[in-house]
Amino acid sequence: MIKKISVGIADMKITRQEGVLITYALGSCIGISFYDPMIKLGALLHIMLPQKQGTDTNVFKFADSGIPETLRKLQAFGAMKSRMVCKIAGGAKMFEMKGPGGLGNIGERNAQMVKMALMKEGIRVMGEDTGANYARTMLLDVGNGKVSIRSAGKPEKFL
Amino acid sequence: MGIQKYEEMNALAIDMLRELGSIGGGNAATALSSMLNAKVNMALPEVKIMGFNQAMHLLGHPEELVAAIFVEMSGEMHGVMLFILTKEFSDAILEKMLGKSSADFLALEEIDTSVLTEIGNIVISSYVTAMSSLCNVEVELSVPQFTVNMLGGIMSVPIAMMGQHSDRIMMITGKFKIDGRALDSNMLLLPDVESLNVLMKKLGVIDG
Repeated sequence: MIKKISVGIADMKITRQEGVLITYALGSCIGISFYDPMIKLGALLHIMLPQKQGTDTNVFKFADSGIPETLRKLQAFGAMKSRMVCKIAGGAKMFEMKGPGGLGNIGERNAQMVKMALMKEGIRVMGEDTGANYARTMLLDVGNGKVSIRSAGKPEKFL
Repeated sequence: MGIQKYEEMNALAIDMLRELGSIGGGNAATALSSMLNAKVNMALPEVKIMGFNQAMHLLGHPEELVAAIFVEMSGEMHGVMLFILTKEFSDAILEKMLGKSSADFLALEEIDTSVLTEIGNIVISSYVTAMSSLCNVEVELSVPQFTVNMLGGIMSVPIAMMGQHSDRIMMITGKFKIDGRALDSNMLLLPDVESLNVLMKKLGVIDG
């Protein structure tokens, strides 16, 4: 029985050697998987919004604060940025937000900010499944580094 | 004095919101009932203040496929209203309105989605009308949006909207049942903190 570790919204989990990190139903949020194949260390981060504002203490809520913090933790466990395999999923546009108070296309802004934050850290995105208008569940198998995406009415997809 | 966070609301304010939910929901149930020509019951509404992950799991498994009608509020109140229907509930509506037995949830025809959107629209509007006339607040509603998707993905939209300024979200929920059958649908009202202050002022719960 492979252990499953579930990652919530605005949350991040790290595990090594074996186990599956899973985050359910990413809508406009983005799941970012990090994997160092040499030491079989993986992390899954689930961010909700692009940019930190003010004094919010929840670092994993935002792309621009969650990504550096996740990398810092991974490096503390011995991961190397140069070996890091990073994949992203989510950032869908669940509804057409036309109202004046709307956030616009939050999913797209999330995706842009995630890519910018990763670029700033010198990490290339090796696989991506973002945009469109449906929710995705993202899984990272830490035993082999495989990332898969489940969505309703579509076959499972490997990034 | 207004509140800055949802968790600062006192028992009186929560009672007030529950009462508003009850009046709005009652109106919505009446509208639903006359449209479907069926008996519609509504459970006592609940006011919940909770963390994001609790909110995701509140209505079921995040991967469950549901239909949702989404409306944004603007004017004196800001926030989101969601009407979430399970497959069974949407089948029941389509059966009553169009005489269809069971539709493929992921490949609904245009007529199906417009019926469901319109039902959601009427239910949401009658809810908001009751609330706004009772409190004398002006609320404008956006054009309703319809989707069939994973529950968690749908819930992440209001969570992201409220999440910029808060680590918790507040919702007033109401459950409807058709003809006493256990067919669940949920009506969620998710106002932002500022709108709660407006409501509380209008109803005299806080000074202003």
